[in-house]
Amino acid sequence: MAKYGMLIDAGRCTGCGACRIACQMQWQLPPEIAYNRLEHREKGTYPKVKWEITPVQCQHCDNPPCLHVCPTGATYKRSDGIVLIDHKKCIGCKYCMVACPYGARTLDHEKMVPEKCRFCADYVVQGQQPPCVSTCMNEVRVFGDLEDPNSKINKLLATGSVYQLLPERGTQPRIYYVKR
Amino acid sequence: MPKFSRRTFLKMAAATGAIGSMPVYLNRNKFLEAAEEASIEKVPTLCNGCSNMCGMFVHVKNGRVWKAEGHPIHLKSRGRLCARGHGTVADIYNPHRVTQPMKRVGEDRFEPITWEQAYQEIGQKLMKIVDEHGGNSVVWMEHGTRGKQYADILLDYIGSPNYITHYATCFTSKTNVWPKMVGTTLYGDHENADYMLFVGRNFAGGIIPNGMNKVLKAKERGAKLVVVDPRHCELAIQADEWIPIRPGTDLAFFLALAHVLITEKLYDVQFVRQYVSGFDEFWQANKNCTPEWAEKITSVPADKIREIAREMAAKAPRAFLETGYHGLNAHYQNSVQQAQANVVINALLGNMFKVGGLLPAASLELGQLDKPVPPAKEKGPRVDGAGEEGPYATVEPGRGIPQLVPKLVDEGKVKAVFIYHYNPLRTGPDPEYQKKMKDAELVVSIPIDWNETSYHTAHYILPESFFLERMETPVNVNGHITHLSPQIAYRAKVVEPVHDTRSLLEIMQGLAKEIGASKYFDFTVEEEAEAMVAPLGITMEELRQAGCLEFPATVKTGFPMSALGKPSLATPSGKVEFSVGVYKANGFSGVPRWIAPKVMPEKDNEFRLIHGKQPWHSHHITSNNPYLMAISETYNGTWAWMNSQRAKQLGIKNGDKVTIASDLAQKQVQVKVTELLHPDCIWIPSAYGGFSPKAEVAYGVGVNYNDFLPMQVEPIAGSVMGQEVIVTVRKGVN
Repeated sequence: MAKYGMLIDAGRCTGCGACRIACQMQWQLPPEIAYNRLEHREKGTYPKVKWEITPVQCQHCDNPPCLHVCPTGATYKRSDGIVLIDHKKCIGCKYCMVACPYGARTLDHEKMVPEKCRFCADYVVQGQQPPCVSTCMNEVRVFGDLEDPNSKINKLLATGSVYQLLPERGTQPRIYYVKR
Repeated sequence: MPKFSRRTFLKMAAATGAIGSMPVYLNRNKFLEAAEEASIEKVPTLCNGCSNMCGMFVHVKNGRVWKAEGHPIHLKSRGRLCARGHGTVADIYNPHRVTQPMKRVGEDRFEPITWEQAYQEIGQKLMKIVDEHGGNSVVWMEHGTRGKQYADILLDYIGSPNYITHYATCFTSKTNVWPKMVGTTLYGDHENADYMLFVGRNFAGGIIPNGMNKVLKAKERGAKLVVVDPRHCELAIQADEWIPIRPGTDLAFFLALAHVLITEKLYDVQFVRQYVSGFDEFWQANKNCTPEWAEKITSVPADKIREIAREMAAKAPRAFLETGYHGLNAHYQNSVQQAQANVVINALLGNMFKVGGLLPAASLELGQLDKPVPPAKEKGPRVDGAGEEGPYATVEPGRGIPQLVPKLVDEGKVKAVFIYHYNPLRTGPDPEYQKKMKDAELVVSIPIDWNETSYHTAHYILPESFFLERMETPVNVNGHITHLSPQIAYRAKVVEPVHDTRSLLEIMQGLAKEIGASKYFDFTVEEEAEAMVAPLGITMEELRQAGCLEFPATVKTGFPMSALGKPSLATPSGKVEFSVGVYKANGFSGVPRWIAPKVMPEKDNEFRLIHGKQPWHSHHITSNNPYLMAISETYNGTWAWMNSQRAKQLGIKNGDKVTIASDLAQKQVQVKVTELLHPDCIWIPSAYGGFSPKAEVAYGVGVNYNDFLPMQVEPIAGSVMGQEVIVTVRKGVN
């Protein structure tokens, strides 16, 4: 059984937004609903300054707070590690939005469901790459099977220095970030 | 073949409830409902999100466009697309397209008419104008140059020399200079370079996905990337160093780089001796341009200039100064000299025609359909004066001077204006001035959407089919990035037109019938395409299936030499010419020499207004795209950037509303207070300031630099000098 994960080399990101809209097209989302976002930071003062961009999306945590607070079991975790929402069970209470420390949930006002990145669950099982990965000119994201010792993501994880977002929250994210 | 799962797709559609009566391809929810069982067709075509024409596969389901992905072979995309590529594909279902031919019946009023009525009325008016005022009174303006092959037939038929492109607002200095100095245009071999200097060129803003990928590949290999720009542009995020420069002074920076290369004998003496003419003239004119001199002008420390020159020379010939695009080449009074100095730096590095330096574009000679041509008609001088004896003798006649057209209408010299895929009211200087075009006897716009030019000036609007709804003739895949092997690709028709729109060729055929020119348009785009690829030994069917085909390498490294062993560039001497004879003959300096910007900010509240391409917009053309504008909304993309120290002095805080004013306009905008900008300037993205009420997504959002910019003509290349404008900024909106 695959265990899907992602490695994000945020230092390569130049903020073009292709990941956002490729995802929107893939899932046919309306313009205002996005499953990933970029966080912009300026570090330093002119002229010695850095502009840092960090892509953020659902971290597909192994200990997902959104799942724990869901009163109906609408949020569930597949055995391959992907966290999904069963729309049929969702009552739109938004507890998951509050519980997620990454702000990864976005309310789809049309459907009244707090939506989020799906790790392209239907497609990756067929061996496809999520479009946020495949469309990126800077190759910011690497997606793959954390159980497969030969996967590109595992090789990169073995060689590089990585960190995770908010490790102190104990969420055990499935997304790793390359240290700048 | 991928299938949507019932869980994800049907639920999405069901949860939304109401589904209207629109056809399935127009309604996203209905599409999702129907998507379950449909198979997917993947059609290769070329993107229209900007002018780079990246190869893409468009996925079609139930006759509806679903999504796009980059073509894996195509040199420019290599499997990847930027945001505007994805957004442009979605735009086929934009509700603000022009859906059928329109005739103006009032200041803000249009009525739908049939194509036949449009052709008849336009044809009659056009021939009356030609009879009474001559072909010279007719102008064809377009972004350029996709409509040229058909525009030329019309212009030849009526006897008009007036084909005009948008280049004056973009890169006209570069296209003027390079053929004269080098006989061709060369591009950086990013992938193999060891040192890349980008000045006023944001590879991560004006995007070729594979271009950016090549830069990062070079960096992984250890190449150095230095970005000089008043704004810490997106490319600078990847740079080893960002060096802010006072806007308008890049020429001084280049002249000082040359000074270091020459005085410290770091330049490629052998290359210059063999392949350059005019070196002495250049040096005599510029020997006082020391780094210390340049520091005062540019605000770049003299030691930094020395360091860059030395490091580049150490890495030469695998080092280059990026040859540029929009940034710098239509912006200043000294833009032409700046483009000349770019050639000089690269020649001093001896990098031309070398791997890791600069290389020519790979291309193949395409065939041409044998068809009757209109009888030769005497054409008068170009109405804009481009390339004619007089003040604009050195301006390329193939590009023209679009910003003069409203004035020429006002003076009664231009009576009919055709505008194809072009929006000078928003992308040219001074929109109120541009509106004068409406006073011509005939104004025909051929757009996709309700752009400002169509809404405010057109008498007739003839909507062109969207790029996914029409086929175009094959093209060589090249420009801005390098590749030894040529590629051929073409824009295929992916789906049937959603609305009552037509391709440009069909529009021209309809018009031709009314003016007796049918026999010169008696061909199909398929016939043209077949004739074009015939010499390559392929058929259109093969190209249709592949989308993009690559051929054996045509680019040879090494300086072009004649059979007699002499340099054989297409210049008078066959060498790189540091001094341009044509400029000299017209009273300009042959070699580049320092010219100050036309205007400078002086007072505490004055700034130079500069602009640039946001990574998810193609200047203004994408501004009515709901997906791309949603990105702007999310990231405060419409805000004007201001250096934090200047903001502090003016009491301005992040997010404050300010009033920006020039002699022409006074507009309100929110401010991003930032460390990422030179103190002398305000930066605004070029995407905003829509003022066509029918383009509802763009309407009234943000401001545009052209609001503040007076109509000007740079004398050598004819550019608009888009950053020669000083604005005052004050807090508040009253």
